[in-house]
Amino acid sequence: MLSLERHLTKLLGSGRVLTTPDALLAWECDGFTVHKSRPRAVVLPESTAEVAAVVTLLHGTGTPFVPRGAGTCLSGGPTAGQDAVVIDLARMRKVLQISTVDRFAVVQPGVVNLDLTAAVRHLGLHYAPDPSSQSVCTIGGNFAENSGGPHCFKYGMTQDHVLGALVVLPDGSIVRFGDPAGPRLPHALDLTGIFCGSEGTFGIATEITVRLCRDQEAIRTLLGAFGTMNAACRTVSDIVAAGMTPAALEILDQATIRAVEASVYRAGYPADAAAVLLVELDGPTAVVDEEAAEVRAFMAKNGALRCEEAADATERKRLWKGRKGAFGAMGRLNTDLYVLDGVVPRSRLEEALVGIAAIGSKHRVLLTNVFHAGDGNLHPNISYDGRDPEQTARVLAAGHEILRLCVDLGGSISGEHGIGSEKLDHVGMMFDAADLEVMARVRGVFNPRGLCNPGKVLPQRGACAEPAKWPAMVAKVLAPEEHR
Amino acid sequence: MTTTTGVATPRSAAELSTLLGQRPGRVRLVGSGSRQARLPAPPMALHMALDGIAAIERLDAADRTCSVDCGVRREVLDAELDARGLELPCPGGGTLGGLFASDPIGAASPGGPCPRSLLLGIEAVLADGTRFRSGARVVKNVAGFDVHKLLVGSAGRLFAATRLHLRLAPAPRASQWFERRGIDHDEALTLLAALRARAVPPDRVQCERTPDGAFVVRGRFAGRASFVAASLREHGLTAGAAAWCDHLQPPTNGEVVAGMATLGSLPGLLALLPPGSPFLWHGGGRCEITMPDAAATDVLLAAMTAHRLHGHLVHAVPERRGLGTPVPPAHRRLDEGLRNALDPHGILV
Repeated sequence: MLSLERHLTKLLGSGRVLTTPDALLAWECDGFTVHKSRPRAVVLPESTAEVAAVVTLLHGTGTPFVPRGAGTCLSGGPTAGQDAVVIDLARMRKVLQISTVDRFAVVQPGVVNLDLTAAVRHLGLHYAPDPSSQSVCTIGGNFAENSGGPHCFKYGMTQDHVLGALVVLPDGSIVRFGDPAGPRLPHALDLTGIFCGSEGTFGIATEITVRLCRDQEAIRTLLGAFGTMNAACRTVSDIVAAGMTPAALEILDQATIRAVEASVYRAGYPADAAAVLLVELDGPTAVVDEEAAEVRAFMAKNGALRCEEAADATERKRLWKGRKGAFGAMGRLNTDLYVLDGVVPRSRLEEALVGIAAIGSKHRVLLTNVFHAGDGNLHPNISYDGRDPEQTARVLAAGHEILRLCVDLGGSISGEHGIGSEKLDHVGMMFDAADLEVMARVRGVFNPRGLCNPGKVLPQRGACAEPAKWPAMVAKVLAPEEHR
Repeated sequence: MTTTTGVATPRSAAELSTLLGQRPGRVRLVGSGSRQARLPAPPMALHMALDGIAAIERLDAADRTCSVDCGVRREVLDAELDARGLELPCPGGGTLGGLFASDPIGAASPGGPCPRSLLLGIEAVLADGTRFRSGARVVKNVAGFDVHKLLVGSAGRLFAATRLHLRLAPAPRASQWFERRGIDHDEALTLLAALRARAVPPDRVQCERTPDGAFVVRGRFAGRASFVAASLREHGLTAGAAAWCDHLQPPTNGEVVAGMATLGSLPGLLALLPPGSPFLWHGGGRCEITMPDAAATDVLLAAMTAHRLHGHLVHAVPERRGLGTPVPPAHRRLDEGLRNALDPHGILV
């Protein structure tokens, strides 16, 4: 009898089935490096038919499998167990169709987010969702994770831009969701909606139909530097209260500013500022002019130390360089980075930041903050040395408390990074057993045998609030009342 | 809680949960009863009127979100939002629960907000009385599976959403309706294409073919006053009174098909229609077509299938409701699987 690896090789050829330990090293984790595990094998299909053939084989042999895009996920979503096969979709990178009349594109899942925009730029179009990793992350991964980005305050998340998909279900059958005219057929359930953000546990999208947006006539990017974080947050509140919806409202704290300015992502941010607020406005020129004047007035009212406006595309790129490179700049601070992803109501941002600082002090961890202020989506980043178990335990404990704080303030444990394996122990903060049972039933319809990306999103029954996957030391760091 | 023969009117999610937990047999969830598209209920089904669960729990202007019970009527919420300079930026009336469960119109403009994009989370009750939550109250959340997205268009067959957490938008500083009447097919499509090509299209746009065969394009520009005025000028449009039409008037004898079509596929769809059939297309892609009789509808549905267009009957005699272009078998299998998973005894009808 042929081994599974031999069967896979028969389907794809030897060059597209990786099994040696060295070759598998690159697939042992995603951007969440706390959880690492080398998969049994990695396969590299190039078409829907090949994905279906591989999945049919794996389903038939009861082998778990994990779809993967670029591996930029920050929650361990595509990290596979040692018994699982990774189905890497990076070779499926064709833009299959572009409609300028109806403004949509059909793409394979391995198309890089920014490459799609590059492919339609000459048509005056772009793809709006823009995760910070957009130069490498894939549309398939974005669809699986319902990715966001700085510009989703105005333009929405990935789910607002996916019109449909061709999907290989976990039993190898193929189904089409949605239509270029809309993500839900008028007499059917919204399968596109429930699939988006299912973190690779419902199947594998092999063609994705996405909406394209017309480029705006004018874009203005403003930077406000403030002496206090509160002043930056108040400016955001003023802008929103005035009825404006800027394309982006981003804040970096002082520690982040200093890390950025000391790195290759240097953007000329004032290193003495306690916070930098980036505001991007887009739309018709006359409208953007009016809005820019109002934003400048709000910055002045709140005592901005400096207000700068990009004069051209080059300057705009420079101002964004620091924000987009912020996570990379953290590499200067320590060997590892834990990027958190909590959400609070926008009106409670200041309260949340005070609480996060207190948690950082309590656990003696190096905390920096970069966040989507318009959405209330916080990214507290903890730089640490992952080789030190005691330090790692304190970092995870601080993360646990920060997410608890977000939930207590009426928010969420994840705005855009997903649950993956990272937050399995936090899901119970938001959902009780009945909520999770309903979700499990829905997953069971798509993935009845649980072979597709097992152990993600939903905790094992009865373990939702327990930090079972963490090092035992974390439990020692957390006080008993924090185990809620 | 009020229970009369065949109708129960719970006043809270807890009461609804208790009622459903008593296994009352088949149950038809009803909002304000304004929807026409539903399959006929079995004669012995208990009608569960949800318009008594009707509190506005919170309106958070700073966060542009609200939490409302399923029985809150659209005009009641709109009045509250208007007072705070906010709006729920999608068309449609009746109760909020009914609007989201039926999703009859979708978006009012290309890529515009629609019930599925505005729904942040729910509190809900399964057919067996189990209460659960999905999503969150904040504008951004990816925790857990988005079970709440299944509410949209589910027609009350999966669960009863008793509270909805919704995203809101600021009311525009200025807005102006426009309407161009009495134009022909080509002129209408040209105007729609020009409006569609804008970086900022009208926040509402629709096209109607009236029984005399003439076309009407109407909509609304919203934003800053200077933008609104410039947009009207650019397209040679004149300001007019609000004239939005949610639905075609149901015919006395004929039928109404609801479907979806992109702007690019509109000419093909129009070519399939009997001359003079009233037709309404919303900018988000949904459309309605009035058909003179069942035979003509059957011909149309067959032609739509051949052209890979989707539609189904929303106004017809009871025995024909539910007819439509085929849903792909694998899609249908998943739909049925979800119904069985969430309501295994088929209580919600």
